[in-house]
Amino acid sequence: MNKTIYVYGSALVMSMALIGMPGCSKKSVQSGGDSQSTQGMAKGETDGSRSGVGNYPDTSVQSSGGGLRGLDKNPSEERVGSGTMLAKVDPSGSAGRQADEIRAEQAASAAAGLRDVFFGYDSWTISEDGRQALTRDAEWMKSNPIVQIKVEGHCDERGTAAYNLVLGEKRAKAARNYLVELGVNANRLSVVSYGKERPSCNEHAESCYQQNRRGHLVVKTGK
Amino acid sequence: MTQMKLISAWFGGGLLLAGAVGILESGAADVFLEATRPDFQKIPVGVVGIHNAGGPDWLGGRIEEVLKKDVKRSLVFDLVDLPSMGIQTPDIGDGMGATSKAVFRQAAEKGVSVLVWGKAGLKGADKEADVNMEGFVYDSGSDELVGGKRYVGSTSVVRLMAHRFADELVFRYTGEPGIARTKIAYVAEQGAARELFVMDYDGHDTRQLTADGFLNLMPQWSPDRRFLIFTAYRNRNTQDIDMIELATGKRWTVISLGGLNITPSLSPDGNFLAFASSHEGNSELYRLDTRTKVIQRLTVNPSGDLSPSWSPNGRELVFVSDRGGGPQLFLMGSDGSNVRRLTFEGDYNAAPVWSPRGNWIAYVCRTHKEYKLCVISPDGQKRMQLTTGPGVDDSPSWSPDGRHLVFSSTSDGKSQIYMIDADGKGIERLTFQGTHNSAPAWSPAS
Repeated sequence: MNKTIYVYGSALVMSMALIGMPGCSKKSVQSGGDSQSTQGMAKGETDGSRSGVGNYPDTSVQSSGGGLRGLDKNPSEERVGSGTMLAKVDPSGSAGRQADEIRAEQAASAAAGLRDVFFGYDSWTISEDGRQALTRDAEWMKSNPIVQIKVEGHCDERGTAAYNLVLGEKRAKAARNYLVELGVNANRLSVVSYGKERPSCNEHAESCYQQNRRGHLVVKTGK
Repeated sequence: MTQMKLISAWFGGGLLLAGAVGILESGAADVFLEATRPDFQKIPVGVVGIHNAGGPDWLGGRIEEVLKKDVKRSLVFDLVDLPSMGIQTPDIGDGMGATSKAVFRQAAEKGVSVLVWGKAGLKGADKEADVNMEGFVYDSGSDELVGGKRYVGSTSVVRLMAHRFADELVFRYTGEPGIARTKIAYVAEQGAARELFVMDYDGHDTRQLTADGFLNLMPQWSPDRRFLIFTAYRNRNTQDIDMIELATGKRWTVISLGGLNITPSLSPDGNFLAFASSHEGNSELYRLDTRTKVIQRLTVNPSGDLSPSWSPNGRELVFVSDRGGGPQLFLMGSDGSNVRRLTFEGDYNAAPVWSPRGNWIAYVCRTHKEYKLCVISPDGQKRMQLTTGPGVDDSPSWSPDGRHLVFSSTSDGKSQIYMIDADGKGIERLTFQGTHNSAPAWSPAS
């Protein structure tokens, strides 16, 4: 929780800095027409978060010579430090909070009986089976009109991690768009891609790959 | 001495050429090939030994082992095995005695250009006492002691002493800082989460950096090695681009536009951050000016654009786009101008990284349904497949000297991290713990 506060806090400081500097206060990114673009953003964020760019340190300083002093016929003593240029990780409450929230989402989604939609290799086309699953999901959503749904796009382990994130988003959006076609209000749907980073099955086999190429519908329980 | 001057002259010249003339000039490509081609004359080095001069039994042997591996991995030296060449190595921890002189003459006759030896011991009787390590270099060409180093530190830093000494050797004979003190950032599975870790370039001294219990992906180093920049999920719903300061663990969000924000890549001078974002619909490439905070959109098309990587002179980007169907590599100016397709072979080419020498772009290519490492020259004229066999290879990242790549592979089952020479030889596995290690990123040289 501390971490979250810190992130927002720095964004706030940033936004103040931007407002204070006339040359920089211009918002340089126009948000597009896609309703999804702001869907995932939590409400009540500071101006700094909306501008979408946080603090940025100067990283351009490059040391030269790498601290090497060269060989010497009468070498003087060089102290070798502990090598701890790395801070000790601070196990904040975040991991526990995430685990609790994931469990709550899973329980709510299981209770709703929402169905996943599965995809072919390298594909984000909704199959006939997928349409049937989403039709059932749409009916459930219409009869539970307050519930917000997150459509997660997942991929199998083949291919690169980066491209699978884009592919996962295409799958999630294909499922989201079909639900909207079926009459679900787009404002109730958000999408997120997990690429191949959260597989439901871990074997190196097609039977497993099939289960991982999916659009997974989750009932949002938190923010 | 002449040899050293020659080598550093053309390495230095190559870097200058790449910077001044531009990476697409053919002259620069020749320089890189020179450095990795099979008949490149490595300098024969014999490590006589690191003598134990009081202290734990393992001390000298440990330093010697690390040093030998560093010397071998440098690819600048050819580590020769002295006993198998008939050169007996007496215990010469005390330096240039009469027996040592005889060994050096023998080695010189057999063509060994450089001999290295040293000693290590505790400074006091106390178990907690500091280690004192001395290393010496003898050059058979000039028949004299070139010089040495003396390091002092706790017993926990003896590997670092060996790494430092190895880098001094590389520096002495090439003018380059060496890679033995570089680090590799990567992502490791922790239960259902993926957290950032950093390890030494040889897979030792692993440290965990994040522990937020969800996904942290694709770390990249800042040019000054002080920060990692990576993709993180805020509340599991949107992917932001975060930064973490290694020394303090301080972490904050840099890009939070909504939607998918992935594959951050910093320009070599640190002034621009290229990244992919879907906040305007589909995944497009953007460029943040880190000084003015202004974001410029670089690509405009309905397909997915991602994975930008900078040319060493900062003028161009290589990236992935599926505008032709499957993912392929494209090049463009770093302002989004002059887009052209680079890869035409195969129906899946992704995850490109531009070599620090400028002359190759490494990437993941699909052949026979397997995902392997390939390299292609920026003019598209030369292409080579580096890895073969089953398994998914992913996330190649260059060593700062351009002689190695680190990457992840499932070739042994679970995803683990491997190092490979830039010519596809010498694969070495770096990670052995854990269920899933991926997305390695090699740090700049210190």
